[in-house]
Amino acid sequence: MSRVRRVGVAVRLTTRASVLLAVASLLGLAAFCWPLLVHAQSGVNAAHSADAPWIFVALLPLLLAIVLGEIAEGSLDAKAVALLGILAACGAALRVPSPGIDGFEPMWFLLILSGRVLGRGFGFVLGALTLFASALVTGGVGPWLPFQMLGAAWMGFGAACLPRASGKPEIALLAAYAMVASLLYGALLNLWFWPFGAGTTTSFSYVSGGGLLGNLHRFVFYDLTTSLGFDIPRAVTNAVLIVALGRPVLGALRRASRRAVFEPIVELDDDATSQSLDDRTPASPAP
Amino acid sequence: MIRFDGVSFTYSGADAPTLRNVDLEITEGELCLVVGTTGSGKSTFLRAMNGLVPNSTGGKLAGDVLVAGRSTRTHASRDLADVIGLVGQDPSASFVTDVVEDELAYTMENLGVAPQAMRRRVEDTLDLLGLHELRGRSLRSLSGGQQQRVAIGAVLTAAPRALVLDEPTSALDPAAAEEVLSSLSRLVHDVGLTVVIAEHRLERVLPFADRVVLVSGDGVPLRIGAPHEVMADSPVAPPLVELARLAGWHPVPLSVRDARRVAAPLRARLATVTRVERERPVSGPDAAPVAVLARASYSYGDVHALHDVGLSFNRGEIMALMGRNGSGKSTLLSLLAGARRPSAGSVRVGGESPASLSPRRLVKAVGLVPQDAQLLLYCETVAEECRTSDKESGLTEGVTRRVLDGILPGMPPDRHPRDLSEGQRLALALAVVLAHEPPLLLLDEPTRGLDYPSKARLEGVLAGLAAEGTSVVVATHDVELVARVADRAVLLADGEVVADGAARDVICHSPVFAPQVAKVLAPDPWLTVDEVRRALAGTDQLVEQS
Repeated sequence: MSRVRRVGVAVRLTTRASVLLAVASLLGLAAFCWPLLVHAQSGVNAAHSADAPWIFVALLPLLLAIVLGEIAEGSLDAKAVALLGILAACGAALRVPSPGIDGFEPMWFLLILSGRVLGRGFGFVLGALTLFASALVTGGVGPWLPFQMLGAAWMGFGAACLPRASGKPEIALLAAYAMVASLLYGALLNLWFWPFGAGTTTSFSYVSGGGLLGNLHRFVFYDLTTSLGFDIPRAVTNAVLIVALGRPVLGALRRASRRAVFEPIVELDDDATSQSLDDRTPASPAP
Repeated sequence: MIRFDGVSFTYSGADAPTLRNVDLEITEGELCLVVGTTGSGKSTFLRAMNGLVPNSTGGKLAGDVLVAGRSTRTHASRDLADVIGLVGQDPSASFVTDVVEDELAYTMENLGVAPQAMRRRVEDTLDLLGLHELRGRSLRSLSGGQQQRVAIGAVLTAAPRALVLDEPTSALDPAAAEEVLSSLSRLVHDVGLTVVIAEHRLERVLPFADRVVLVSGDGVPLRIGAPHEVMADSPVAPPLVELARLAGWHPVPLSVRDARRVAAPLRARLATVTRVERERPVSGPDAAPVAVLARASYSYGDVHALHDVGLSFNRGEIMALMGRNGSGKSTLLSLLAGARRPSAGSVRVGGESPASLSPRRLVKAVGLVPQDAQLLLYCETVAEECRTSDKESGLTEGVTRRVLDGILPGMPPDRHPRDLSEGQRLALALAVVLAHEPPLLLLDEPTRGLDYPSKARLEGVLAGLAAEGTSVVVATHDVELVARVADRAVLLADGEVVADGAARDVICHSPVFAPQVAKVLAPDPWLTVDEVRRALAGTDQLVEQS
């Protein structure tokens, strides 16, 4: 074990998948933020501001499906599929006790640690899958689901983008990320729900075509009053969990990914060129 | 069927090849037994057959492996699943579904077998492996042997022509192992399946192996040949073969039956020599016993696991606790270890009830190594495990490591305990327990999954401990272990002691518990090859015969 081995990636993002992921994320961001972006002056937009959310509700699942489909297109490694399945199931199980205890949503910590260890592609897919699986388990399927899936996918992706660190700084970094990311996640989902959730009459209601600054001000007020009581405990729970359990869980995940040998380099004698099985001659069909 | 053409294989990052220039052709219907110590490259060799090496592990492969004419260079493991199947050590690690029938059908679902054919093959497999009564059962509710049979069945439903088994019984107790090996012999004899099997329990597979492949590791060329040829000088050999070498029998007999037929001269000769008893200072009857069970009973609800058991455990004595599964062996150990309180009667270890001792005092009074040694290990590296053990029990730093080096030197300090071999893991767990120097050491089925060298090392450690005065209790099914180290054997049945006495008297004449040597040399009560060797060395010359 002395020599350094190149570490394979569990779920590799091809260029095409990366581009698609970027486009989908931009559109997704728009789907979240439309209440702030619709201009009062634009007659057309104003006229459509009522059905805008429904368009996004219809569009987002398709977008997600396309991105996940493209990521899987490079034929996912069986070992990555197994790990995805197990971690998504664990995440879903961790979400079961959530309702009832304010802000106790321990699944995020697992998602963040997994994304950190197993990379961007894996983090993205795991985030989306975990939310999907947990919605099935908890009966939380609804128009909000694709938005939650995308939010969680970003969270897993983001965890993998954090800078290099190890030991205590790494735990501190991940805990801080868990705080920020879960607060952001809460705010984003609020933003999507805000136009429906706060009616039209209160002082922090969404005003159709009310201007960016005006609506932003009202939204922050809405966010503060309605859900921070939930979001802050959740952010703290997950940060605390990372501090408490981060080291052993990271260790276990790193060991699993080391043992799994993702993207093994196979050298075949004389020419000694590295290639994966998929580049070789296709398998002849079974007799 | 399976052909190796000049195959060499090196793991990425490794300095030396694990396999070097392997040329081998395994023909249709053959049973090929792969023998070697742990870590010699057996698993690599087996996994090269269905392409998991190198396609899943990475590494450098030279030469070509052909299975039914398909090369692992051009075929992924999944494209070989219909011709070759692999079964590993731990059946539960391969399960995907929850129910026996579903598990059997799962492989076929993936191969896209038509529903009609699927239905029929599931039925066939259920009958072939005797699983029909278990068809609707949950996999988790099955015993180890049943689980392993389901795992074999799940591979067989793909209708492969070759079956590769990597130590299929090493995680099982002997009864379950027997069950699995009988199923296998049926597959070989009645179905004519090509089987390649790596197995520690050589004595059970040797009689029906067609060829033996000896893997020595370190790139030493494989030895391939007929069982009696390879066994004649294999470093890994069952007691029967060792006895044959001592007596100079040619060809080496591979079953007790064959050996008995050639053993008459040896038996006659042994009748004239005196047995040299094992020398070990056993404390006299006046010395106080280390632990005492007095009319102890224990029940789980309505089930009486132990009934009215009275036993005393003496200093410097190795006691073997035998009996079938569920006879109360583990319950007895847990009473001694203070994990349970007897529902009637009393348990005293060093004069006190172990269940009322504080954890700190308990570990100094009695040490228990559970069946799954992993249960004692929870750190991430061997070094950390040693450090934690020292710290938690207030020992001076380095004690555990020193104990460990005494048991098994040169254990890699940065290895994860789960990545150790069974023997290494057992050594580490033993070190953690022995660091406290408990006067009473309990071991539950310690030889599970150990190869011969690891077993020999364990025997040495136990004998050494007994010589220093420790009272050792081993709950085991392994009669060879009992024959070699135990001074006293206690036989439990249905929670009661049915026999208690010198190991030789208890096990020698039992058809179930007698070791191979005793079976061959019956009616004289010889237990081990060493005993025979010492007795013969006392006389002038060895038995000469043709």
